[in-house]
Amino acid sequence: MEDKNPLSPHIQIYRWQVSSLVSIAHRITGIINILGITIICFWISLLLLGENNYGMINMFLNSFFGKFIILGLTWSFLFQVLSEIRHLIMDMGYGFELQTTKVTGLIVIFGSIILTIIFYLIGKNFI
Amino acid sequence: MVQINLPDNSKVQKGKYFKDKTGSKNLRKVNVYRWDPSTGDNPRIDTYEVDMENCPSKVLDILNKIKNEIDPTIAYRRSCAHGVCGSCAMNMGGKNGLACTKAHAEIDGDIDIYPLPHLKVKKDLIGDLDGLYKQYQSIEPWLKSNSKSETKEIFQSKEDREKLDGAYECIMCACCSTSCPSYWWNGDKYLGPAVLLQAYRWIVDSRDEERESRLKKVADELKLYRCHTILNCTSACPKGLNPAKAIAEIKKMLATANI
Repeated sequence: MEDKNPLSPHIQIYRWQVSSLVSIAHRITGIINILGITIICFWISLLLLGENNYGMINMFLNSFFGKFIILGLTWSFLFQVLSEIRHLIMDMGYGFELQTTKVTGLIVIFGSIILTIIFYLIGKNFI
Repeated sequence: MVQINLPDNSKVQKGKYFKDKTGSKNLRKVNVYRWDPSTGDNPRIDTYEVDMENCPSKVLDILNKIKNEIDPTIAYRRSCAHGVCGSCAMNMGGKNGLACTKAHAEIDGDIDIYPLPHLKVKKDLIGDLDGLYKQYQSIEPWLKSNSKSETKEIFQSKEDREKLDGAYECIMCACCSTSCPSYWWNGDKYLGPAVLLQAYRWIVDSRDEERESRLKKVADELKLYRCHTILNCTSACPKGLNPAKAIAEIKKMLATANI
């Protein structure tokens, strides 16, 4: 086909489904998690250099932005875990019916949010 | 390669507006993707006001009405109008389907009609499916039974025949493959749900003797494993089939068999 023929619109017009949202979020949280784990590793390595560094990072994590990052990472990890379980079940060949994929997708989305809240409350000693 | 934006020559512009001339009170706006190969212009969206009072229930009926009564220049494929031939596959209301089986009442608001996504457009709603057909050919979709007699019937148990249910009904309309983001980005190498469902259909056929070589052939990082179970395919299939499950079954066979 010659190049003059246009390419029909794709992602611009295709309506999002629960399953496609979970899939793209799975990728994005995967990338965030790699960055997050790297940062945590650096943080732990810095402890070797003394108390000053620990205090600095502690201060950052106690700031509003720091807390946002911690909560964000918690959600991202939990989302990845739940979504990965969903993928494992699918790899075994189960849960491919349209309704089931929708329900499991919603469980991943809302489950990760609810678990984040529970983790937050545990961290705050409310539970 | 992931290419989110459309190339410059594919950017969609605003097109003509066809006002209703029937004076009907029950109007619906229908936005249709148009591209005329005889001009050098970019594709455009033409908007038609369609009288729904005298329009049957399917999206294809709207298109026929537009072509017969408003604008005869519009081009689209259609044939059987009963969901059997797969010609009128297109993107309606943001989802792929057959225009002849999709009820326009299921679409809220204005009705947006586009060709199947991420294809080279030949004209208006007609996309170029040559690539998909070549891939279909590459899986050799025919029975291979060298040792068995060609003059006698090959028997198949009821259980073995049942394995083909959900695979043989595919009409190759390409709704699933063109709904798949993996197929958009890697359509030149990834086989896509439609072709993999057919590959599966021949792999599980008890009469076929090339099961192993068929499996070996699709066992490829790009051909098969680009499927990330996004499941757009299953939700798009107008025949209610499940290509995603078929692909998962192929992956499972490869993971459990010694090949």
